[in-house]
Amino acid sequence: MRWALLGIVAALALVLSVVLGPAAVPLGELLRSDIVWNLRAPRALLAFLVGGSLGVAGAGLQALVRNPLADPFLLGLSGGAGLGAVVAIGLHLSGPWALPIAAFIGALAALGLVYRLGLIGGASLDPRILLLGGVAIGAFAAAITTAIVSLADAAELRNAFLWLWGGLSGASWDSVLLVALYAPIPLAVLLAASRPLDLLALGEESAGYLGADVEAVKRRVYLAASLLTAAAVAVSGVIGFVGLVVPHIARLVWGHRHRSLLPAAFIGGGALLAFADTLARTVVAPRELPVGVVTALIGVPVFALLLRRWTIA
Amino acid sequence: MLRRLLFAVLVLAACRPDGWTAGRPAQRIISLLPSFTEILFAIGAGDRVVGRTQWCDYPPAALAVPSVGEGLPPNIEAVMARRPDLVVLYNAGPNVTAAKQLERVGIHTVLIDLNRLEDLGPATRTLGRLTGFEVVAESLATVLDSLAGRPPPVSTTSLAFVVWDNPPIIIGHGSYLDQLAAQAGARNVFSDVAAPSAQVSLETIVARDPQWIAVLSDSAAPPGFAKRREWRAVRAVRDGHFLLLPGSSFGRPGPRSGEAIQQLRALLAR
Repeated sequence: MRWALLGIVAALALVLSVVLGPAAVPLGELLRSDIVWNLRAPRALLAFLVGGSLGVAGAGLQALVRNPLADPFLLGLSGGAGLGAVVAIGLHLSGPWALPIAAFIGALAALGLVYRLGLIGGASLDPRILLLGGVAIGAFAAAITTAIVSLADAAELRNAFLWLWGGLSGASWDSVLLVALYAPIPLAVLLAASRPLDLLALGEESAGYLGADVEAVKRRVYLAASLLTAAAVAVSGVIGFVGLVVPHIARLVWGHRHRSLLPAAFIGGGALLAFADTLARTVVAPRELPVGVVTALIGVPVFALLLRRWTIA
Repeated sequence: MLRRLLFAVLVLAACRPDGWTAGRPAQRIISLLPSFTEILFAIGAGDRVVGRTQWCDYPPAALAVPSVGEGLPPNIEAVMARRPDLVVLYNAGPNVTAAKQLERVGIHTVLIDLNRLEDLGPATRTLGRLTGFEVVAESLATVLDSLAGRPPPVSTTSLAFVVWDNPPIIIGHGSYLDQLAAQAGARNVFSDVAAPSAQVSLETIVARDPQWIAVLSDSAAPPGFAKRREWRAVRAVRDGHFLLLPGSSFGRPGPRSGEAIQQLRALLAR
């Protein structure tokens, strides 16, 4: 029942995002329209893939650091991606993919640094240090970014922040293909870690007694979730709230078992982002809202409602 | 409340009829907007300009004047170090605070609006009065007023100004560039957007199908987004119909606005 409902919601979100848009496309011409084929369809699919990836990455990281406030962007990736993007613009790297590639490299660099910091106490990855290191590296990268933007001449640099705040304007079949080929690997790694992630909730020691290879799981989950997030930020900037709120909603409805929690977070995150993007494109047409604003406006009330029902029940 | 009062006093101070200059034209002027620098040079007060922003690149003689940095907001110490007796600022939030700080140390300031063509005449007259070049300023202001007052020609083509590509930011009705296009005979396809600039969906640009995509750019090469797959859904992008407009001559209202309109008209006629 819950799965059927979720499936219907997701299908509806995808259909709506292809049918609705600021440009008037008659229903009869929907399948032949260039706007639908080259702009709406890839954008809807990219929204679904990115939203799903953020949902799963968020669920994985929250389980890993055992902190409900964990968000895929908390671990320094957004700062690293922003720095990469600004450096690319500052160095006048041209080419259609310069910005996404630079952002991806920036995010990977931040990931590497945070990971290294997480291992600082020895061979064991400490979740607390991961969190602190993530926040610190993120702030450090953001400081360098701001310094570059305020010292450099190019007025374009200020626009890098617009890009970074997130949005799916850059969607094309190329970016959909890229994410569709890339995301399944970290997604599979996370799904395969479902059982040990359940055990991790009992504490690392207990999880170890119950047969989980805690160290390997922590590393695998951290790397897979971060790699998912890095790809998401490269194609669509920092889209907030999906990775924070969707895992909680999924947990309230599906419980704490990751074998069902992770798929639910993927479909739910995808549906939320596809739906939010449709609203972003249409409610103030011909203008457009930043999609992160809409995800927060929808996600937070839904979350509050569920939280209320859940705590009363 | 106190802050609002201060603000009101400040605005009054900044806008007061320039009594203090009545008998004594400003001798050491700092211009904190490229447009003001151009006007000051055009009315013959160029040799009184002792400071400019790093963006003030016209006329070439202006480059010989020391730069005091970005201008918005100004670096107060750099401005004071030039010992000006008048600082001309663009009327915007951070500059209002800066003007207050400068007035406090005894430097006279003036905040001037300059967003659209019709602001050019009044701005020129104000600067003429403050420098004692009223006569030249008046004749320039008359020319600029006629530019703003002229009914635009019937548009024969259409364009969209793209300021940024991801997310797409375009120029709307409330802007100088929209006026420039109208005067050059091109309809801005986003003139129904009231704001000076706004984020829009790419599909809106496709649906409105402008004949030209105008970009403020100092390079002769098409912008980077021309090669992006999603942008190729826009017909003007596929056809390579780009208007690459140098920022110095097109990006700001000023004495050269008339020339900019002529140039744009010539580009559109290609």
